[in-house]
Amino acid sequence: MDSRVQLQQLSMSFGDFTAVHPLDLDIRSGEFFSFLGPSGCGKTTLLNIISGFLTPTSGTVTIGGEPMASVPANKRPTSMIFQNLALFPLMTVAENIEFGLEVRGISKPERRKVSDRLLELVDLTGSGDKRIDDLSGGQKQRVAIARALAVEPRVLLLDEPLSALDLKLRQHMRSELKEIQRRTEITFIYITHDQGEALTMSDRVAVMSAGRLQQVDEPMTLYQNPATPFVAEFVGENNRIAGEVVGNDNGRVQIKHPSLGVLEGISTEAMAPGTACSLYVRPERLRLVGEDASPVNRLQARLDVVNFEGAFLMLESSIEGLSDPLKIQTEHSTMPASLTKDHPVSLVFDPADALVMPESAAEGGGHAQGLD
Amino acid sequence: MLKALTDRFGLPVSVTILLLLWFWLIVLVILPQLIMIDYSFRPNLLPAQMGGPEDGYTIGNYQTLANNDIHRTIFFKTIWSSILVTFLTLVVCYPVAYFLAQLASTRQAMLIALLLVIPYWINEILRTFAWYLILAFQGPLNAVLLGLGFIDRPIRFLSGDSGVLIGMVYAYLLFMVFPLYNALESLDPNQVRAARNLGAGTIRTHWRIIIPHAKPGIATGCIMTFMLAAGSYAVPALLGSPGSRWFTQIIYNWFFEGGDWHMGAAYAFVLLILCIGFIALVMKVFKIGLGDIGR
Repeated sequence: MDSRVQLQQLSMSFGDFTAVHPLDLDIRSGEFFSFLGPSGCGKTTLLNIISGFLTPTSGTVTIGGEPMASVPANKRPTSMIFQNLALFPLMTVAENIEFGLEVRGISKPERRKVSDRLLELVDLTGSGDKRIDDLSGGQKQRVAIARALAVEPRVLLLDEPLSALDLKLRQHMRSELKEIQRRTEITFIYITHDQGEALTMSDRVAVMSAGRLQQVDEPMTLYQNPATPFVAEFVGENNRIAGEVVGNDNGRVQIKHPSLGVLEGISTEAMAPGTACSLYVRPERLRLVGEDASPVNRLQARLDVVNFEGAFLMLESSIEGLSDPLKIQTEHSTMPASLTKDHPVSLVFDPADALVMPESAAEGGGHAQGLD
Repeated sequence: MLKALTDRFGLPVSVTILLLLWFWLIVLVILPQLIMIDYSFRPNLLPAQMGGPEDGYTIGNYQTLANNDIHRTIFFKTIWSSILVTFLTLVVCYPVAYFLAQLASTRQAMLIALLLVIPYWINEILRTFAWYLILAFQGPLNAVLLGLGFIDRPIRFLSGDSGVLIGMVYAYLLFMVFPLYNALESLDPNQVRAARNLGAGTIRTHWRIIIPHAKPGIATGCIMTFMLAAGSYAVPALLGSPGSRWFTQIIYNWFFEGGDWHMGAAYAFVLLILCIGFIALVMKVFKIGLGDIGR
C-alpha cells in the first residue's frame, strides 16, 4: 500500500493573510510524521488541506501517487482524529466506529465484525453498546482512534488529539498511538505544539513557524543540529548569547559579546567577521566548575533560582550584560551543597557543544501570529 | 422557591407577583375553560326553558358533531391540512435555519434574521391580505409565471387549499425557524466535518448527524406550527374558499352566527383535546419531554 503524501508548492492565503507560504514536502509511506509549531504557525491549515476541508491557494496534494485536487473530502483516503474528537453523542460506541462503513454500504454483520476487532485493538472489548457520554476521556480517545481506523485510511491525520488529557494518560496514549501505528503501517500525520509528543513519537518532525517550514528532520537531529535560530529556541531548552563574529577557522567560530568577551562555538556556515550572530548552548551542556577551570568559554554568574525537577535540578543564573538568565541543568550529585541562592558560580561549556548561527539564518523566524 | 423569591425581591413584591400569577392562571385560563366545558355539556335553551326539565347535562352537542358529515369532514380535513402545513413549514425552514446557524457569516445571519422578522412587524391580517393580492387570479404571481412561460393560463390559487397552505406556511415561518435555529446552532461544526471525513455525503450527514441533533428543535417547531395552524382563523377566512373551510370557522359560526355557545364550546373542546393529543404523540415519537420544548 503506497500511502506517501506529497505536498508540492503548496500555499494557503486567507485574504491578505498568508497562513502557509509555498512549501514542498514528501512524507514517506508508513511514517509517523509530526508538524510541530506554536499556535498560528499554519500546521492546522496544512492538515485541513490534506484532508480536503480547505482548498489550497496554490500547489498540489498527492496521496499514494494520486493527485487529490479533484477529490472531495468525503472521498479521500484520509481519516482525521479531531482535537475535540467529535464523536457522535447520539450513537453508541459501536455505531460511531461503524459509521464510515455504514456510509460505504457494508452490511450490519460485517460492520459488527470490524467494530469488534477494532474495539479489541484499542482495548475496549465489550464496550460497543455503551453511550459516548458514559466513557472516560481516555476511552473516548480510543473510540475516536477506532472510528478513524475503521475506514482503513491510507493516511491518519491527528489534530492535537491528546491535548485534553491529563499528563499520565497523555504519556500512556503516546506509546499506544505509536504501537497502533507500528501495527497498522498507516501513515500518521500528527499536529502538535507539544515538542515532547512530537519528539517521542515521530519518525520525522517538521518544525513550522509563521507559515514556513523551518526544518524537517529526525527528532534527534532537530535537537542536536537545529538549522535555524527558531528551531534552536523552540525545540528543547536553550541558552542564547548574542554577539558578533570575530574569528572563523574550519567550523570553529569565535564571537565577541560586549561584556562577556570572546566565546567559542561551532558553525556549519561560513560567517564573515562582523556578522551579527547567536550562540546557543543547551542547559545540560553548561557545567558548574571551580575557580581554577580552563578560561575558554568560562562565564561568571550569580545563582538566582534552584528548581527541583525530579530527576534533575534546573538552575537559573544571571550574568551582567545578558538580559535572559542562563539555565543550567545539573544532577543532584554534582551540585555542591554549599551552593545556594545569590552565590557566585563559574560555568563552562565545550566549544563543540555551542552552536553559532547568523542572526538572520532563516526567513520568517521568530514567533508567528495570526491564524492557527 | 418562595424563599428564593422573597430573598430576591422582598415579601410584598413576591406575594404580589405570585397573586397576579395565580389570578392569571385560575381566573383567566382555567376557570373560563371549565365554564366552556360545562357549557359544552348543556343544551342551548330559550330563557323560558332554563331551570325546566330539559335543563341538564347532555352529550347532545358532541353527537351533533359526530352525526354531521360536513362538520366531521371539515374537522378531519383541518387536522390533515394542519399536519401538511406543519410538514411544509419544516421543509421550507430547515434549510434556512441550517444556513443561518451553521454556514452564514455574522453579517449574513443578521441580514437574514432581519428580513425574516421585518414582515412580522405588520399585522397578521394585513400580511395575509398581501398574499391575497399576490395569489389573485390576475395578480403578480400569475403574471410572473405566465411571463416566464411556466404556465399557459393563470392558476386559481385562491379557490382550493393551496392559498390557505401558502398563507399558513408563511404566517408561521418564524415559529419554526427559531426553534430549529436554536437547536442547529448548538451543533459542533466538527461533527459535520467528522461525518464528511468518514465518507458521508451531504444527505447522509443531515439524516444521521444533523437532524438527530436538531430533533428537540424540530419537535418544538412542529408543535407550535401545528397548534397555530389548527387554531388559525384569519388565514382560512381570507385566503380560503367555500371548499377549503377550516374547523375554526365552524366554531366561529356556532358562537357568533348561530348564537349557540353550547354547540361552539363542544366543537372548540374537541379541537383542544385533539391538539393536546397531537402534542403528546409528537413528544412520544421524538422522545422528548416538556422541558425540551420550553427551551
